[in-house]
Amino acid sequence: MRFENPKIPEGINTSPDHPLKEFVSLLGGVLLVIAIGVGVLSLMAEFLAAGIPFRYETELARYFQNSTTERSEIGDYLQEIADRLARAQSLPADMRINVHYADEPVVNAFATLGGHIVIYRGLIEKMPSENALAMVISHEVAHIKHRDPIIALGRGAVIGIALAALAGISAESIAETVVGKAGLLTALTFSRKQEGQADATALAALVSVYGHAAGVTDVFNLFTDMQNENFVHMPEFLSTHPDPQRRIKSIEQQILDHDWSADKATRPLPQL
Amino acid sequence: MTADLIVFVVLLALGYVFGQSVERRHYRSILRREQELQDVLTFSAKLPPQDLKVEGTNLVSGNVVVSVDYFKRFVAGLRALVGGRMRTYETLLDRARREAVLRMKQQARQFGADMIFNVKLETASISKGAKDSIGSVEVYAYGTAINTSDSFSR
Repeated sequence: MRFENPKIPEGINTSPDHPLKEFVSLLGGVLLVIAIGVGVLSLMAEFLAAGIPFRYETELARYFQNSTTERSEIGDYLQEIADRLARAQSLPADMRINVHYADEPVVNAFATLGGHIVIYRGLIEKMPSENALAMVISHEVAHIKHRDPIIALGRGAVIGIALAALAGISAESIAETVVGKAGLLTALTFSRKQEGQADATALAALVSVYGHAAGVTDVFNLFTDMQNENFVHMPEFLSTHPDPQRRIKSIEQQILDHDWSADKATRPLPQL
Repeated sequence: MTADLIVFVVLLALGYVFGQSVERRHYRSILRREQELQDVLTFSAKLPPQDLKVEGTNLVSGNVVVSVDYFKRFVAGLRALVGGRMRTYETLLDRARREAVLRMKQQARQFGADMIFNVKLETASISKGAKDSIGSVEVYAYGTAINTSDSFSR
């Protein structure tokens, strides 16, 4: 009796496929599913968040507000402009705009939860006229009118929770980090569509307050120039926009469509 | 965020380049040594045939601990989301099993044995799936090496 251990053929217990092939198809597939899931969830969150009553948003804003700005002449001036524009945009009765003036050189302005708008000194200094400044404020008021901050928060929260849950069920901690990174990309920002709508509402309100649309395009040209000079330091006002030129075009189109005059004299900024 | 991403991509690339080159070299070595040790026969049967003249027995064993690389682990992590064949782990365990058997055979040859009966394989996870630990696995092969009279085996 003779025994023999034959040579076992290769490629039965292992796969001859290239490991990179599996890597690419898996990563592509998972990212695609995450992208679709994030898209669907943000649509749902946006739809539902807009229905949250404004007083809840005001309550919520207290958690985020860490300092109360003291009253100042500039603050009152900005508040006055905002109130006029808010009336022009016919905000709901319970929606109150609070403008905060921040004495910092940052060229920025943003709208946040609870009807708060923050305007930085740096931005005001860059503004060529009151009309241009009013356009920025009107844009931020329009964000609040459209409930954009709470929509962004709702979207961020829902996506954050969903991705955390997804990362929790995956066995490997590495997949967790990748999923977590995808979540970071969806920070509290307004979408391109939200910005476009805010522009349209803002412009209409500006025209009804000042009677013309002069000084509006100055704002966008100014930021485009700044963006070209130093793209790292882009103001929030433009930051979600990869394409400010298109935004200017749609503004100009709106001015043309309504036959608003844009060449009237702008009102200078008061010395404050 | 971007710094994290760069570190991650670098780790992934390092894992891929080194992991794959180690794997290729290991397979070459496995194939060569399997050829060399082909005349040490392994059997899963508990006892040798009755008519085999046994001159001596020894417990022989081969033990391997092998670790995954970053790339394999990442692909396996993605695979765990959708299910299916974990190809990157299959080659890892295939290498570990064959290496363990080879080490066992090596030991048997040192005893002058040419047959190993009752060959068994045990697998143990070192990390037991704990988070942030090194995903490594031990494969242990053992059996009874038998020295027979020359006339019988070869």
